Amino acid sequence: MSYESLLEVTDLINEYVACIDDDDLERWPDFFTEQCIYRVIPRENADAGLPVAVMYCDSRGMLQDRIVALRNANIYAPHFYRHLVSNTRIVGESGDEIKAQTNYAVFQTLLDGETKVYNVGKYEDTIVRVDGKLRFKEKLCIFDTYRIQTLMVTPI
Amino acid sequence: MNAHSDLVTSLEWPANLNEIPKAVFDDPDLYKMELEKIFYGPEWQVVAHRGEVPEKGDFKRFYIGEMPVLVIHGEDGQVRVFHNACSHRGALVETKNRGSQLEFECPYHRWLFSSTGEMIGCPNSNQFSPGFKKENFGLREIRTDEYCGLVFATLSDDTPDLKEWMGERMLDPLARILGGDGRLRLLGYQKVNYACNWKAYVDNDGYHAPLLHPAFKLLNWQGGRGSQTPTENGHIVFEADLTMPDRVDLLDDPSLIDFKGTDTSNGSLVISTFPITVLTKHLDMLNVRFAFPRDNDHTEVHYAYFRHEDDDEEMARHRLRQASNLLGPSGMISLEDAAIFTRIHHGNISPGNAIFQKGVSDPRQLNFTPAQNDETGNLPRWEYYRKLMGFRRAQS
Repeated sequence: MSYESLLEVTDLINEYVACIDDDDLERWPDFFTEQCIYRVIPRENADAGLPVAVMYCDSRGMLQDRIVALRNANIYAPHFYRHLVSNTRIVGESGDEIKAQTNYAVFQTLLDGETKVYNVGKYEDTIVRVDGKLRFKEKLCIFDTYRIQTLMVTPI
Repeated sequence: MNAHSDLVTSLEWPANLNEIPKAVFDDPDLYKMELEKIFYGPEWQVVAHRGEVPEKGDFKRFYIGEMPVLVIHGEDGQVRVFHNACSHRGALVETKNRGSQLEFECPYHRWLFSSTGEMIGCPNSNQFSPGFKKENFGLREIRTDEYCGLVFATLSDDTPDLKEWMGERMLDPLARILGGDGRLRLLGYQKVNYACNWKAYVDNDGYHAPLLHPAFKLLNWQGGRGSQTPTENGHIVFEADLTMPDRVDLLDDPSLIDFKGTDTSNGSLVISTFPITVLTKHLDMLNVRFAFPRDNDHTEVHYAYFRHEDDDEEMARHRLRQASNLLGPSGMISLEDAAIFTRIHHGNISPGNAIFQKGVSDPRQLNFTPAQNDETGNLPRWEYYRKLMGFRRAQS
């Protein structure tokens, strides 16, 4: 593992969370490969081998559908996210795939101006290079905060 | 058992049956009364499904009202519900949410219990009080009954027989939600803490008019004809034909809302059992919403999703995709519910009554055959609640 690839992976993750926090969600699916898996799963389920997630997309099309629903159909309290990410580690490299893990904390602020710790967990990412750029082939968000406060509509 | 709220004596419940005083959502003393009279009273509480504890020794921790309980699949094959409190000094016997073990040990003084609740051993018992007998100190068992693997518990000896309490009308649709025969396997949980009083949750989960959910319209999916049947003791059974949209332009991947089952006739089901549990079969999702109040202002719901034991891998995967995307606190077609619970809870801290309108032809009469989208289906439950709590109704 090279320092350069760690830097490149960290950069990808920073850009990814900035896209969400800046509400640039139409661009969010672009961080994934065409055939991809995105799962947000409670740690309790993951530890018990139970597969139910709170978001489970197995194509870039399903990622787009999530955003279309969020923008056009879903009703929810307006809110901001602020992701803090740290401890990125490359845990495996084989062929053109990089496996990386990163801790994250999402703070949520509703329009009453109060900020709460909303969702804390880790990313388990499988990353590949597409047209020279790193993309998520698989992104698994395993969250410790497995009792959601009210609802989850914005991706993690 | 003597909680009291001044509201019960001071408030005069409106004469019109479609008016619900908002004050009942915002009174901590009344909430304590509700725990005693409803959650610890003569009602059956839904605490588990066998699919969550399929093997001997499997257990689940849960709550009846605020009381911690332990559901254990005993080594004799019976599923029992116990108070999760040591028979000695009352410490929680188990703190894991789920697990599998044939013995349960309280760590405080090492009292040990079997999976059927009997005491196995307690160190130094030769120094205990005169007449101490191990056999008198098993875990305290709670009365239970089962229907299609769904485990009900009640803290009262006066609760009627389970089938009588459910009523004939509920038996067939409930069986269908539970896979027909109750042979279910757990796919997992979505757990959520709703910032609302438990009555606001149950009044607005289950079935309500589809106006709230623009996704139904966007998906070109209007839902089939159906009916709702409330009972005098606070349950509601909703059945509708399952109709699928001919085309879905909006979704890039419409396979998510395929229906792979066969029973489109009355294939969409929602049952709400008094006081707090909602169960649904929608598309191919088999969903039990285990719920309990955390305090006057919060309600915790564990959305448990199941597959049938006979599902092939494709069906199991399909159920998993739908469970992980459509319903619950992050479900694309229904997460509005969560937003509404909170809005109602905050809005209820204002004077006056919440007034139900749609389907009310005579505000002085309960209607037990409301139309599919009428709001009146909730009113028999409110009347049952009013009587249980002892609120006086105004004469005019």
